[in-house]
Amino acid sequence: MLIQILNGLVYAGLLYIVSVGLVLIFGLRRVVNFAHGGFYMVGAYAGYTAAMVFGFWGGLIVAVLVLGLIGILLDYVVFRPLQNADHMVTVLVTFGILLVFEDVVQMIWGADTLSVLAPYPFDGTVQLGDILFPVYRLLVIAVAIAVALGLTLWLRFSRAGLYVRASSVDALTTGMQGVDTEKLSLSVVGLGTALAGLSGVIASPLLALSPSMGSSILIESFIVVVTGGLGSFAGAFIAALLIGQVHNLGIVYVPNVASMLPLLLMVVVLILKPTGFARSYS
Amino acid sequence: MSLLELQNVHAAYGSARVLHGVSLKVEKGERVALIGRNGVGKTTVVNTCIGAARLTSGKVSFMTRVQKPIRAFRAARSGISIVPQGRRIVPGLTVRENLLLGSAPDRKGPWNLEAVFAMYPILRERADGLGTAMSGGQQQMLAIGRALMANPDLLILDEPSEGLAPVVVDELGASLVRLAEQGTAILLIEQNFGLIRSVGDRYYVMAKGSVVEDGRLSALTAEELKRHVSV
Repeated sequence: MLIQILNGLVYAGLLYIVSVGLVLIFGLRRVVNFAHGGFYMVGAYAGYTAAMVFGFWGGLIVAVLVLGLIGILLDYVVFRPLQNADHMVTVLVTFGILLVFEDVVQMIWGADTLSVLAPYPFDGTVQLGDILFPVYRLLVIAVAIAVALGLTLWLRFSRAGLYVRASSVDALTTGMQGVDTEKLSLSVVGLGTALAGLSGVIASPLLALSPSMGSSILIESFIVVVTGGLGSFAGAFIAALLIGQVHNLGIVYVPNVASMLPLLLMVVVLILKPTGFARSYS
Repeated sequence: MSLLELQNVHAAYGSARVLHGVSLKVEKGERVALIGRNGVGKTTVVNTCIGAARLTSGKVSFMTRVQKPIRAFRAARSGISIVPQGRRIVPGLTVRENLLLGSAPDRKGPWNLEAVFAMYPILRERADGLGTAMSGGQQQMLAIGRALMANPDLLILDEPSEGLAPVVVDELGASLVRLAEQGTAILLIEQNFGLIRSVGDRYYVMAKGSVVEDGRLSALTAEELKRHVSV
């Protein structure tokens, strides 16, 4: 049971890092970004390739930087010009970008799955009571906690964080206080996609890399964002924890219906509390 | 020097044209009232200055610098702070955070958190509570305090008396007069007869999206002023 709970935390950590990027982008741009799964997947492949030259950690840094730049470009050439367009147009464009990413990755790296080894010194196991548990999985949990803490401190105590929280709720009023919300969005979208890239790289020693890996995590990330409460960072954290456990325990104990459980959880939460776990923008 | 100048401004929301050649200016230290009945385009003048209404022709200048394109943040950075209609207190932020949102790090002056708390002590008492949880009058103080945090040369207030009790409006008027005496120029968009009289010095009257009259408030009789602002 302990192993299942820890594995649930590992998946929750990955989900959280992807989802919080979605929350950031939704808050600033009001965009339901289907391309986000693509960023996660491209991050994993970029990290895989860069790791051949710079090692795993160097690859991680390169992938995060590259994905951050791609996010800035996306904001500049897609989100900004489409900010006054119908939401459905933006949704379709981001979905198209996801499909393009999948095809491009398939062209470059092929359709076969690729694997990445856990980096030294996190490639061993650790004794937890009666069981042996991979150290790398504990590292993934630690990275997710670090991201959550870092984001919380940044949002709560920095001037930029205050601007992000304010702009997520009322961009015009925030702009009227002298904040260039366009520049702010540019950097926040970059941060959101960089987080997706980070999640892709740290997931790569746990999962097989494939062009469809982005689509798989995207659905559950949306479930996290909606269940947590659109735009809520704290809600995304709680929802990721819960859905990570539901996903993992479901696979072990009720494999036939495991894929439905996160969706069922979302439906139940939304019926009981239509705004999700947390109030918006907390 | 003109802090704000609109020259023959035409503006629209989508395809709905609202302003038809508005020209007005506010000089340093002036107290100007922009008056007119409901729906004549007074708020659209403010919205045009922050890009919320689309400028179709004409010029908007902050500190004599023509704004093109017009962006919401440029007014504040040019020393023009706005207290918008409906106050627009940011939900989810505390009173302190709403005030800090208004502070412009690169603009120096007498206004900071302590100075605003000294002017409106209730904001100090409620500093860690949500801004949106306060009463209408307190939210108006917060909106004015937030605007002052940028140490503006010009404060634009759009219907600040809306929804306030008469005694609160009197207090508001007194605080605006104090601000004006300290050298902050004021553009007051208002329909409250008493507030216009107590704060304003010069006036513009708008009708059907245009400025139709301007002059000194002291030259207007009470009856004339009432006629201009009655709904």
